[in-house]
Amino acid sequence: MKLANKYLSSTTLWLRRVSALCFCCVLSNPVFAVGTAVGTVIENTANISYDLAGTPLTLQSNTTTIVVAERINVTTTLLSPQTLVSANDTDQALLFTVTNTGNGSEAFELAIDSNIAGSDFNPTPAVPAIYFDTDGSGDFNAGDVAYTLGVNDPVLAPDASVNVFLVNDIPGTVANGDIGRSELTATSVTGSGAPGTVFAGQGDGGVDAVIGTTGGTAAAVGEYLVSDVLISVTKSQVVTDPTGGSEPIPGATLTYSIAVEVTSSGVATASALTDPIPTFTTFVPGSITLNGAAISDATDGDAGELDNSGAATVVVRLGDLTQADGVQTIVFQVTID
Amino acid sequence: MRILTGLMLTALSFVAAAQAHLDVQTLVQKEQAYINEQGETDRRLVTADIVVPGETVFYTITFTNVSDESAENVVITNPIAEDLVYVEGSAFGPGTDMQFSIDGGASFANRDELTITEEGVTRPAVARDFTHVRWVMQNTLEAGAQATARFAAVLE
Repeated sequence: MKLANKYLSSTTLWLRRVSALCFCCVLSNPVFAVGTAVGTVIENTANISYDLAGTPLTLQSNTTTIVVAERINVTTTLLSPQTLVSANDTDQALLFTVTNTGNGSEAFELAIDSNIAGSDFNPTPAVPAIYFDTDGSGDFNAGDVAYTLGVNDPVLAPDASVNVFLVNDIPGTVANGDIGRSELTATSVTGSGAPGTVFAGQGDGGVDAVIGTTGGTAAAVGEYLVSDVLISVTKSQVVTDPTGGSEPIPGATLTYSIAVEVTSSGVATASALTDPIPTFTTFVPGSITLNGAAISDATDGDAGELDNSGAATVVVRLGDLTQADGVQTIVFQVTID
Repeated sequence: MRILTGLMLTALSFVAAAQAHLDVQTLVQKEQAYINEQGETDRRLVTADIVVPGETVFYTITFTNVSDESAENVVITNPIAEDLVYVEGSAFGPGTDMQFSIDGGASFANRDELTITEEGVTRPAVARDFTHVRWVMQNTLEAGAQATARFAAVLE
């Protein structure tokens, strides 16, 4: 009878294990990331079978019991890429996520540190400096609720996470290419310390809480890059009159040459040059070139056109420019009416 | 008087049958770091009452033949709890053949003979698949003799 019971419970165990494995395959194991639930009781009983004087007999050992305590673990991850800023910018936000990787519900204190060694400048934390991404937009905006230590410490279920902004102002003294850093630290309210430290009775349901591999605290650092891109634009003109001279008389051709150059560090993203055709002149069809290569007047797949939607304007798109790209030369012609 | 003696004998033999021939004790332990007498950090096994995910627990089964007869065909079977994953290579039992089950203890085989078929694909069983571990004693457990079996598992 005991044996029959044993097999029955064993079969149940096996089915549960199989279903757990399938679950694991489908969902890329979000549950197992945090481990066995707090308070789970794991019993163990060994079975022994033997023959004594030709009689088969069985016995069970005593039952050992272990209780799963709360493991306190947390990770902090930077979500923002390096954030481009300018001197005197205010409310520049870095987005982080804090995840409870322990196996119990846990509250976490949040802290900001913007004086990180090795930085070119120290950003100035705004007041307040820590916000929740309340609206889930990923962008810092008016709907986001400020964090206050001890008042709205986020309480996270196992494997749950919360997105948090660090908000800093950029000093006026920074130079192009300077990097400033700001660090978010999340620390378990129950406690932190060396892995293995036990907080007796302070886990969920009164079981012990044990500090996990992360020490109960985790930090991540975000970066600001000062990127005031300086662009130089120089326009020159050459007049060719119908007589072969250089007098700006009706019928003379004006050849405009515009040199565009990034003269600082940083990237001028999606840069474009627009230059209206001067009054009392007429654009010379097919005269636009970029670095010597012709650009058609039509709005098509190439880098520019003559835009006639309003006043006639030459448009040339230069894309993302850096100092390394050197001088970009745009040429077009008009005739004097 | 004769009848009374008969009754007493019956009672005595009943007691004897209820008494186990083998004593089987299971112990669950985990590693703990401590500072030894040389002032160095060392590790030792202590009784595990509480564990946290990721911790390894060590089960030791000690069995003693407390009868005055030899026990033949001694087999120890221990389930591996749902939240525990067997530590590969940890099963230990001098003088035993170790076998594993992947079907809740319905069948047992040597480590390398177990395969799992999922969605028509067969692969070798891994530690996570094991539901039971079994030690089959190669020899007789003589009267008064003691033996041990061990394995380790990690709490998920």
